[in-house]
Formats: sequence, C-alpha cells, structure tokens
Amino acid sequence: MKKIINIGLIAVLAMMSACTDLDVQPRNDLTPDVFFSDDAAYERFLTRIYAGLAVTGQQGPAGNADIKSLDEGFSSYLRQCWQLQELPTDEAIIAWNDDGLPDLVTQGWSSTNQFVRAMYYRVFFQVSLANEFLRESTPEKLDARGVSKEVVDQMATYRAEARFMRALSYWHGIDFFGDIPFYTEDQVIGSTAPTQLSRREVFNFIVNELNEIESDMLEAGTAPYGRADKGALWMLQAKLYLNGEVYTGGETYWNEAVEACNKIIESGAYTLMDEYHHNFLADNDRSTEIIWSVNFDGDATQTFGGTTYLVHAAIGGAMNAEDYGVNNGWGGLRTLPSLVDRFPDETGNIDERAIFFTEGQTKAVEAINEFTNGYTVPKYQNVTSEGVAGSDPTFADTDYPMFRFGEVHLTYAEAVLRGASNGDLGTAVAYINALRQRAYNNDAGNISEADLNLDFILDERSRELYWEGVRRTDLIRFGQFTENGTWAWKGNVQEGRTTSPHLNLYPIPAEELLANDNLEQNQGY
Amino acid sequence: MKNILRLVVAFAAALLLVQQGYAQGTVQGQAIDENGEALIGATILLVGSSRGTATDFDGNYVLENIPAGEQQLRASYTGYGDLTKTITVKDGETVTLDFQLGEDAEVLEEVVVIGYGSVRKEDATGVVAKIDDKNFNRGAIVSPEQLLTGKVAGVQIAPGDGSPGGGSAIRIRGGTSINASNEPLFVIDGMPIDNEGFAGGRNPLNFLNPSDIESFTVLKDASATAIYGSRGANGVIIITTKKGQAGSRPRVNYDGYYTVNEIRGEPAMLDADNFRDVVTFFAPSRLNALGNNNTNWFDEMLRQAQGQNHSLSVSGGGQDFGYRISAGYQQLEGIILGSETERASFSLNYNHRFFDDKLKINTNLRGARTRDVFDPGLGAAWDFDPTQPALDPDNEAFGGFFSYGNSLAPRNPVSAAEQRIDQGQSFRTIGNMEVEYSLGDIVEGLSVKTNLGFDVNQGDRNTFEPTTYTNTQVANFNGLVKIENYTRTNYLFDAYLNYDKSLNDRNNLKLTLGYSYQDFYEQYPLFEGQNLSTDQFGINGPAQAEDVFPSNSVFENRLISFWGRAIYNFDERYVLTATLRRDGSTRFGPESRWGLFPSAAVAWRVLQEDWAGSLNNIFSDLKLRVSYGITGNQDIGDYRYLPQYAFSDQRARYQIGTDADGNPIFVNTARPNAYDPGLQWEETASLNVGLEFGFANGRINGALEYYTQNTDQLLFEVNVPAGTNLSDRVLTNIGELQNQGVELTLNANLLKTSDMSWDLTGNIAYNRNEVLGLSNIAGDAGILRGGIAGGVGNNVQILRVGQAVDAFYVYEHILNDDGTPVSDEDDLMMYVDQNGDGQINELDRRIFQNPAPDILYGLTSNFQFKGFDLAMTIRGAVGNYVYNNNASNRGYYQRVQGVNIGNDQFFLNNVHESVLETQFVAPQYFSDYYVEDASFMRLDNVTLGYTLLPKRAISSLRFYVTGQNLLVFTKYSGLDPEVGVGGIDNAPFPRPIGFIFGASLGL
Repeated sequence: MKKIINIGLIAVLAMMSACTDLDVQPRNDLTPDVFFSDDAAYERFLTRIYAGLAVTGQQGPAGNADIKSLDEGFSSYLRQCWQLQELPTDEAIIAWNDDGLPDLVTQGWSSTNQFVRAMYYRVFFQVSLANEFLRESTPEKLDARGVSKEVVDQMATYRAEARFMRALSYWHGIDFFGDIPFYTEDQVIGSTAPTQLSRREVFNFIVNELNEIESDMLEAGTAPYGRADKGALWMLQAKLYLNGEVYTGGETYWNEAVEACNKIIESGAYTLMDEYHHNFLADNDRSTEIIWSVNFDGDATQTFGGTTYLVHAAIGGAMNAEDYGVNNGWGGLRTLPSLVDRFPDETGNIDERAIFFTEGQTKAVEAINEFTNGYTVPKYQNVTSEGVAGSDPTFADTDYPMFRFGEVHLTYAEAVLRGASNGDLGTAVAYINALRQRAYNNDAGNISEADLNLDFILDERSRELYWEGVRRTDLIRFGQFTENGTWAWKGNVQEGRTTSPHLNLYPIPAEELLANDNLEQNQGY
Repeated sequence: MKNILRLVVAFAAALLLVQQGYAQGTVQGQAIDENGEALIGATILLVGSSRGTATDFDGNYVLENIPAGEQQLRASYTGYGDLTKTITVKDGETVTLDFQLGEDAEVLEEVVVIGYGSVRKEDATGVVAKIDDKNFNRGAIVSPEQLLTGKVAGVQIAPGDGSPGGGSAIRIRGGTSINASNEPLFVIDGMPIDNEGFAGGRNPLNFLNPSDIESFTVLKDASATAIYGSRGANGVIIITTKKGQAGSRPRVNYDGYYTVNEIRGEPAMLDADNFRDVVTFFAPSRLNALGNNNTNWFDEMLRQAQGQNHSLSVSGGGQDFGYRISAGYQQLEGIILGSETERASFSLNYNHRFFDDKLKINTNLRGARTRDVFDPGLGAAWDFDPTQPALDPDNEAFGGFFSYGNSLAPRNPVSAAEQRIDQGQSFRTIGNMEVEYSLGDIVEGLSVKTNLGFDVNQGDRNTFEPTTYTNTQVANFNGLVKIENYTRTNYLFDAYLNYDKSLNDRNNLKLTLGYSYQDFYEQYPLFEGQNLSTDQFGINGPAQAEDVFPSNSVFENRLISFWGRAIYNFDERYVLTATLRRDGSTRFGPESRWGLFPSAAVAWRVLQEDWAGSLNNIFSDLKLRVSYGITGNQDIGDYRYLPQYAFSDQRARYQIGTDADGNPIFVNTARPNAYDPGLQWEETASLNVGLEFGFANGRINGALEYYTQNTDQLLFEVNVPAGTNLSDRVLTNIGELQNQGVELTLNANLLKTSDMSWDLTGNIAYNRNEVLGLSNIAGDAGILRGGIAGGVGNNVQILRVGQAVDAFYVYEHILNDDGTPVSDEDDLMMYVDQNGDGQINELDRRIFQNPAPDILYGLTSNFQFKGFDLAMTIRGAVGNYVYNNNASNRGYYQRVQGVNIGNDQFFLNNVHESVLETQFVAPQYFSDYYVEDASFMRLDNVTLGYTLLPKRAISSLRFYVTGQNLLVFTKYSGLDPEVGVGGIDNAPFPRPIGFIFGASLGL
C-alpha cells in the first residue's frame, strides 16, 4: 500500500513538473551548447566572417538576412562598399531611381540614405561577428568544451584572422565615416551603447592590431583560397599607411607604406598576370596577381551583390548579355567621359585596360537615368579566360579581387614620390612601367622618372584600378573629391561643379544616432 | 442451426405481435403564446422518446400512434419556457391537448459566453457583444469572420482582397501592437485555435463552415479578455457552433445556393489607342517597340465567376442527449482567371447528461478539406503593353504565349494564369470533449470541468512552372516544381473548478479556478526542383528535376496558465468581477517567461435600487460598468530570446581552399543570430466605462462605451546601437502606444405585429491611436515604414511619437488653379519647401493623414412581412486614407520610354489614367496627391426571401436572393476604398459584385 502511495506521489510530482515545463529548444537553428559541441563549429563561424563580405544572409541568393533595415539585395557589403567608393566619383554612374541612389551619383546624400546605412551596418555586423568569435574561442572555452588538439592548434591563426577581418571593417569604418563607435570582444551582447572614438584613435588601434597578429597569420601565399594571410595583412597595412595622413589629420607613414609593399614584393608569392583582364573573369581564382579575394560561385555562393551585381548592372543597350556569361542585363552602370579620356583611345587597342562598350552608347551623359548615356564597362564578366560561361547564368562565378598585386606597384611609387626614404624613384618607375608594359603589350607606354608626378599617379591609379572600389579614397587623398575637381553630374549638374568638403565623410545614419546617444554626427550633416 | 432459426422467427413474430397489439391513439392540438397568437414551428415531443413534431403556420400539430395510457408531452419554443402536460391517450381515439407558452424568464435572462464559462447578461461586467445567426451577413461567404463584418461596434474586419475565401485583417478597437500580431484570439467551443496564415490556403478559418456557427461573441475590454491573459490584448472572438438539443425531434435542414460574381468598376489604365497616342507624342522613337493588337489585359484576366454551396444538417435529441451532424460543400471561382476555392466539411456534436444531469459530456468534432487554386494576380495586367497580344502561337519557346523573355519585363499575365499550376489543399480537424461533473453532493455549488482538445492542420501547396514559362526561362532554369508540406497541430488540456453559491438572498458568489496547457507544433518540409527533363509530369515530376533544394523548418511553443475568476453579485444591484491569470510562455527567457494579468470590474444595475422607481417608467434597463485590466501579447516568433546559430543553405556557402584535385571546397557557414535575452510580454492596460440602457420595454436598447488602451513594452524590431548585437535590428520591448475611443450600439425593434416585424441594429465607433513613445526616438525623428511598389526601399509612412501609427509621410504638392498638381522638372516648383533650405529632400516631407479610420459604422435591418423577409447591411468608415500606389507607380509618362533589355530591344509599360490629369513625366512617389480620402459607405448585402407555408413533412421552405457588395459611395479614385489595414493600394484582387440564388428546406 505504501509502495502504491509512493508511486502515486512520484507520478503526481512528475505530472506537476510536466505541467509547468516551458523549456522548448529550437530545432532549425542550434543553441551555442549544441553548436560548439562539434569541432567544425569554429571553421564554420570563421568562414561566415569571410562570407560576410559576399553573402547577404544564410539563404542564397536572399533569405534569412543579416541586416534588416533595408532590402536584403541592397545590403551586400561588397556592393555598397563598391557603390560608395565609385558612384560619387569620376568613374561610374548608375541609371536606377531607387530611393537615395541618384544622390550617391550627385554627392547629394543625407543621413537617411539607405545605401550609406547599409554600409554602416555591414561594417559593424562584421565587427560583431568577429567579437563574438573571439569571445567563443578563448582557451578557457576551448578547454571547457574539450575541443580536439588539431582545432586548438589552429586557433591562434583563426583568432588572428578574425582580428584581421575586424581591422579591415574598422578601416572601412574610418574611411567612410570618420569617428565611429568602437568596441571589442570585451563587451558582451546587448551591452550598453559603445562610445565614439576619433578616426585617429581607431587608426592607431588597427595599426597595433595588425602588428600584433602578424606572427600568427599564415605565410603569404599559403592560406587556403579565400582566407587572408600575411600578404593580405601587409596590403591592408600599405593601404592604411598610404592614407594615414588623411586618417590622423597630418601624420605621414610613407616609410611604413613602402615597407609593407616591400614585404609583399619580396615574399615572391605574387606576380602580375600577362593579361590584365583575366583578373576579372570567371576563372580569376587562378590569378597569380590577386592577393586576397572575396569569393563567389554561381551555384554555391549566390547573392544579388558582389560580382553578380557588377556583371549584370553593367549590361544593357545593344550589349548581348550572353557574351558576358549571363542571361540578362540590369541596365544600370556606365562610366563618365572623365575615365574614357584618361586612356589614349577608347577601343583598348593601345592600352588594353580600356574595356569599354560603345556601340549605341553616347560618351557624354545627358541624363543619369538613361542607360545609353555613357560608355559601359564590361570589366567584370562571368566568362572564363577561355570564353566559357560561368556555372550559372544569373549568379556569377567571378571572384572579387579585394587586394591585387598591381596596386602594390602603384602604392610603392606613390609613397616614394610623397617622401618615403626607404624606396627609390628608379624602382618606382620600373614598377609603373611593369603595369604599362602589360597594358600596351610593348614599351610604347613606358614613362621616365621625369614623367612621374602625383597627377600622373592619380590618373594611372584610375587607369589601372578603375571600378575596383578605391577611387573615392584616392580622390580624397589627392584633395580632388569635393572642393576640387569636377566631372559630369558631380553636384547634380551635367557639367559638374565642386561640392562642400564635408562630403569627404559619409554621415552616420540617422537610425544609429537615434539608437546611440554617445555619437556625434559628422560636421555638415 | 434450425433451432436457432426457429427461435429467431418466433422472437420476431412475438415482437410484431407486441407492436401490433399495442394500443395506440392520436394527440392533436395547438400551441399559442400568452396573447393567443399561434406559435409556428414549436416543438411537441413525447417525453421519454425521440418522437415529436413541429406546429404548422396555425400553430397546430398532430401526433399519431401514441401508446395508450398516461403520457407526457412537452412543448418548447425558442424564447419561451418549456411546458410539459400529461394526458391520457385512449386506444384508437384522438384527444386534444393545447399548449399556451409563456415567455421564459430564464431564456429572457440571456446568457452570454465568456472565457471558460458563461454568465447571465445582467451579470456581465465586461464589454461583450454577441451576434447570432439571424444577424449574420448574407451572401456567398467562405470565411466565417465575414459573417461579422460591420456588425459589432469597434470591430474592423478588413478583407485583404476579393479573392475567393481570402483572409481578413481583424482589428478590435484599433491595433495594440506594431511588430507583434494585432489579430484577436479565436476560440471555437472553448478551444483557442491557431489562426496564423499558411501556405496551403488563403485563410486558416475557412475550414469552418459558416452554416455550422450559432453565434459569435466578441470580448472587447480587459475585464472580458484578461482571463485569456497573454493572448487577450487584441480582443477575443468566441465562436459557438450549433449543437443538438436534448428533447427535440429530429430536424433536417438543407441550404443551397448558386452564385455569380463580376468585377465592379474597371482599373484605370490606358487602352491601346490612347497608349499609342501617348507613345507617339512622348516617345516616338519607341513606336517600333509597339505591337499591332488592342488587348484589354483586364478583360483577358477577368471572368464572370460562379459558385455553389450546399449544407445539410440533421439534429435532434432524446431525453438526455442531443446530436447534430452536418455536411457542407462549397465551391467558388474567383473573378481572376484560375482562382478558385473549394471546401468539403463535416461536423459532429453529441452531448449527453448522465446521473440526473450530474455529469455532462459534450463532444465536438469537425473537419474540412479546403482546396485553393491561386491566381497570378492582376499586377502584370496593370503594366502590360496593351498593343501586344496575349497569344503568340508561333512562339513555341514560350508555349505559344507572347513574352518579352526578359526578367525585367512584366510577365504575360495570361500565360501566368494558364501555364502555371499553383494550388494548395489543407485537411484541418478540430475536436474537443468537455466533461463537467457536479460535486454538489460534497460541497454545494461545486463542479469540476475539463476540456480536452486538438487541432490538426495538414496540407500542401504545389507549384509547377513548365519549361516554356517565361519566369523559368529568364531565370535560366527550365521548369520548376515545388512541393511545400506543412503540419500544424495544437493540443489543449483545461481543467477548472466552478463554485456557484448563493450565500443568502442578497449575496451570490461564483468562483472559477483553472489550469490550462496548450502546445503548438509546426513543421514545414519543402522540396523545390529546377531544370525539369520534361513537363509531362506536372507537379508530380520532382524526380525529373536536375537541381533540388530541400528544406525543413520546425517550430514549437507552449503556453501554460493558471487562472481564477470571482463574480460577486450583491442584491442584484452590484456585480463585481475580478480575474487573474498567470501565463508561462516558451517564447520568453526563464527570467521573464511568467506574466501576471489581472482585471477588475464593477457593474451597477441602477434600476434595482429602491429609489429607482420613477426611472423604471423610462428605462427597462440601465447598467453602469467600469473595468480595468492588463492583458498581454506574445504573438511573436519562437526562440527570439535565445542565442542561436543559423547555418547557411547550399546556395549561401563560401569557398575556403581547394581540394587535392583543385576543386573548390565550399563550407556551410554558421551565423550567430541577434537576440534579446530579456524579451518579455507586451502589456496592454485598458480602462472601459460603459452604460447599457433599454427603453420601451426593451424594444430599444443599446450600450455606450468609452475606452482607453495603453500598450507598454511594445515588442518592436528596432535599430540597436551598431555593434552591440548581432544585427542592426533586434526585436525588443520598446515603445508605447495608445488607443482611445467611444462606441455606441443601438438595437431597435421598430415593429412587431403578428404579420410584420422590423428590427434595426446600428453601431458606430470612434477610435484614435497614437504612438506615445519609441525607445529614445523623440521629436521629429521616426521610423520609416510602408514600403511601396516603385523603386526599392521607398517608404511613405512613418512611426513618430505623437502621431498615429503609420501616418503617411509625404511632400506637400503645390496645386494649379484648377486643383491639379503642378508638374515640373524642378522639384521646388512642385513641392512646398517646408524648411525653406532651397531644396526638396526628405526633410521636407510631412505627416499627412493616416490609414486607420476615425469612425467605423454599420447598420443592419431585418424586416419581415408574412412570408417575406428583407435583410440588409450597410457599413462604412470615415477618415481612412489610402495611398494610391497603383496610380503613383504607373501614372507618369516615362513609362512609355521603355526599358532597354539588351540587343536593342525595348519593352514599354502601360500608363495609369491619372497621368492625363497630373501630366507627371517622372514618378512622384512621395506626393501627397496620392494620399486620398477613402471614406466610404457600402451596401454590403441585401437579401430578399420568401418562406412557404409548411406542408406535411416540410416544416419550412424558403427561397432567397442576395446581392453582395451592391453599392459603394466613396470619393476614392481607385477600384475599392478598402485596401486592408495598411492603407496602401497595390493592385489587390478586386472585390466582386455578386448575386446569390438560394433555397432552404427544413424537415
């Protein structure tokens, strides 16, 4: 009898606890406990930080978005980084009427511009991911989870790469926005609003970070394709130092820039491709010139940003989309006369870097939204160097050359020209001529030391690096982006006019100012 | 064997003998009311049997073959007390037994359903509105909630569109939330149901056959809804289905109708000739892109739609039990080519009382198969060049349909309707069993009740696009087949104790104490295949797909509650109600998952006061009520409080490295999702003050209500400081919202004679909502909302503190002398430069009206004269504004400039007729010209019926004709002023005008 009562009591108690059981675990996604019980978690997570430059969510081509303040297709890191670097400059123009897009072309943006907002949130999404990775990969946590030795051994490199990716985004952050909120893995998720650090302070942080992690990064040219190694780190240093004067408000780092370039060159890991254009085609994963790329694949990495955007948006008019390995054109991107005129001729017969489609297009741009105004630029294509179309006609296979060896030559030359004491002009001229010889396929385009000056460098950078997402930063460094320099539609008139220097920085998005009391808007907005 | 056979025969013979030898007589008579008027259709039942009949038009009845001896007959009639009489029946004779029924005091004491029970109407302290079937909307109604449109003050039932069986947005006293759901909780016979949209059908409520519904009870204030705690904030709609009555003879009812529907009005796009003129004038270089046809795309896509409906029910009961069985079939076409809905349904109710009514068991089981065929919508018909043909027989690559073959160009809508297969079906079954047992032997007035229920909804949606379909062609895959399945179940266990005790003459106490457990489970396996080797298998050809993309999603949430209610009645003068519910939800973290939802209310029945004597001459009823309570909202996604890692699918992998053969290695990445560990309930505190009144012996009665509802801890997806979480926006508790309003309901029985009656019911409600707070967003800042068609990321509405939810946020357009908007290349000439900075940008946009109606009203009239009946419903709204996106997105000349699709090919888009007035060249998405006053009055339905005199077995036969959506008075320029609650008119499925011809038969 007593036994029965006991059993009864246990049954009642069991029912009582079932009656108030509210622990329901998710099934589609994994809680951290479950996720990190598999050692593969760390590679998946780190890869997501790299993929953060390419994809827009966890479903391809769109779905389960990372960023929610705007249309997912518009939220691509690379697409916005590219647009913010190219559309307000003398290299590109776009036909579409999406809210705020014409304002990028005319330098008429405000703090509610959705593309500026997208870039801002992308930067900090990357920073958040990297911070979370660093929190979850501490030796203590690995120890507690009993992670295998193989994975533990790689973790120093993984953590260095996460910090590299964070440094890269912080660099974009200060380049676009100036003074920005700053925080690291020391703050937890949902913490109070971070404070704003000056552009100079964040610059110094990046410099220190890169120095600290250098020894943990893989040797130049040895990282698995898509991951950053010392080559990528040095390139980021070179770009950072070259613009250090802008970021710090006066201090120069020409010697450091040259030193970084030398490390890349002396590593011997990279050589210029024979054909310039092969760096931008569907098989550019075979390029010996690309130091670090953002990877795309027509089947496995689908997005409406990245090279899919760069290929499709530049097709329209009389162009036959199939010639470029895709099924249609989006009729958006063209270039301005200012870029065309920088080349000795527009056919590319003399300088093969001039990749323009002119049939049915006018050179001048009378109307921003008329696709046939302005030559188009099929620089990025979804066909291989052998003319074979990519794996998918909608989504491009072409990888985006984030850092390319050609730029190292130009950076070296500019730093020397601007006063670096650890380089020499003769080498600089040789580096420039290496690029020009490749472009001309002979030495007709070679220059001498007398030809090498800053104006030439700015133009040569455009000829070599146009549509590679560096133009705005270059123009600012040369003081030509706003209060000097005119080109079509700058300032919203066809002939172009100078604009206010406050536009050298993009505004901090209105949403962010509302959410974070600690922030001050950039001057002029 | 032979012996057995012999035995059976003998037994049968004996039975026959008994039957034949039984002495029998006949009883006849008449049923009348207190005034001597005949009662038509009163039930006369032989007590202790299931035999009975109904009185005819003169109140007469005849019951034959009644066993001789002393027998009891019971007469019953709705609204009157039952009367049982004893009579001695003699063999072979006819005896007369008349019944005079009195109006039943107990029935007059109308009972209203509230959560977990019911109360006398007098004792109701909350705002509870009951609509029974005689006041339902008439017409070809698929979705049950549409029976209720315009019938209850402050209840807005906004049909999303006019598709057959399309869903509605329901707002009771305005929306209390922004990101969480604003839909009320539906409770069917005590079972709260899952009412979320689903892929397989247009509306999850469609499984319920409207003819099975006896009444709706709408619970509006916190006193009434707080018993539902975390799900009460948006109000509760309790659906009571028809049940079998103990002691009634078997009744058979059939109702059937045929319906025919057509579009009302015509979309305002240019016809082919006008379009050619505009192109000639504006873009002559594009004339060669035009075709030679005159196609009216709307004519191509629209049709006269037909439908039918049949409902059959059998109900009755014995002394201790009642039953009702029904079956229904409905099939309706939509007016857009290809759209259709179909339902086959059954329901079963059985109730039984045992042990001198100590044990009561009531069971319901209902199920339906609904099938929906989805149309491609009219979107492309609005855009397509009217000079192009629908068919192009030579164009075999596109199945003989005209196509531009480009992803940017509109799709030929006719090919979308003809070539695609897009259909869903669902099987939904709901069952519950209520068991009530009186413990009166132990404690007087105590009883225990349990309710066990389940709700299973399973189905699929299948899509097939052949290899020749434009969509698949331009996306460069050949053909698509998609099979989406889903299973949604919820099961419920409720147990509660009721205690009902009159302490003495003046004090009555009712206590209820309960526990509830409900678990919701959802699963969505999906299979998508692209690149088909053949079209021949249609949706059955997944094995023919070269590329496949499978997925599955699973969700579960659970709600566990403890609740109690006390109703204290003092001397019939004061009634006090207090409720308390404690809810636990799996949607919140351990720290905040339990919430407490209290309410209290008091009612004062003025006429019961001793001093009220003289008031009794004026009023027949006068009751003052005040209630206050807190309800919650938890209708957000699952697991939003938990850190989680989301894996990438096969199309969002990322290449890291290459394998030994040089092939890329793609990694399925994992992303930590944003979350707020402190997520908690949204809380709505409501105050209601109400006055119920009745004049002229109750022939005129009504209620006046004032309410205010403050929602705090608004669940809101909001931008967080960049970097502090794992996305830019996180769902969190931020913000405050208020709804305030006044409601008036009036019922009048204008006429009541033996031949004629006329009832009029009207309601009118005023509501105003305001955003009181949004995180730290103050002043002129706000959150842009209301995405429109036209560009990407264009929004025309804003959430701003101090303004109505989703107020329109637009430029002020300068008008010409003739009232038309200025059209100019320079924005400064067109729009008012609000801040005077010499340029037009987002800083010059201003708040201009909002989509929520200020006033909602409805009027129902039921008139009856002899055999004729005439019923109608008029309803409307005042102050609801609509952004005419059809006009803004299509009313500008640039559309004829064409879009270049490569290879020097162009396509042109048709232009909205508003361009003839505005002369806009470029789109003016943000002009207040497009924000229109969409106040309206709609003659929703009119029914004329005629009932024939009963004859022999037929107790009633009625023929009727109904007109639906007959007239609309509005200034709105679009097709229909009701565009859903969002206020943006974006080419929805047009609401048809319809006629129904039907007949009802009762046996």
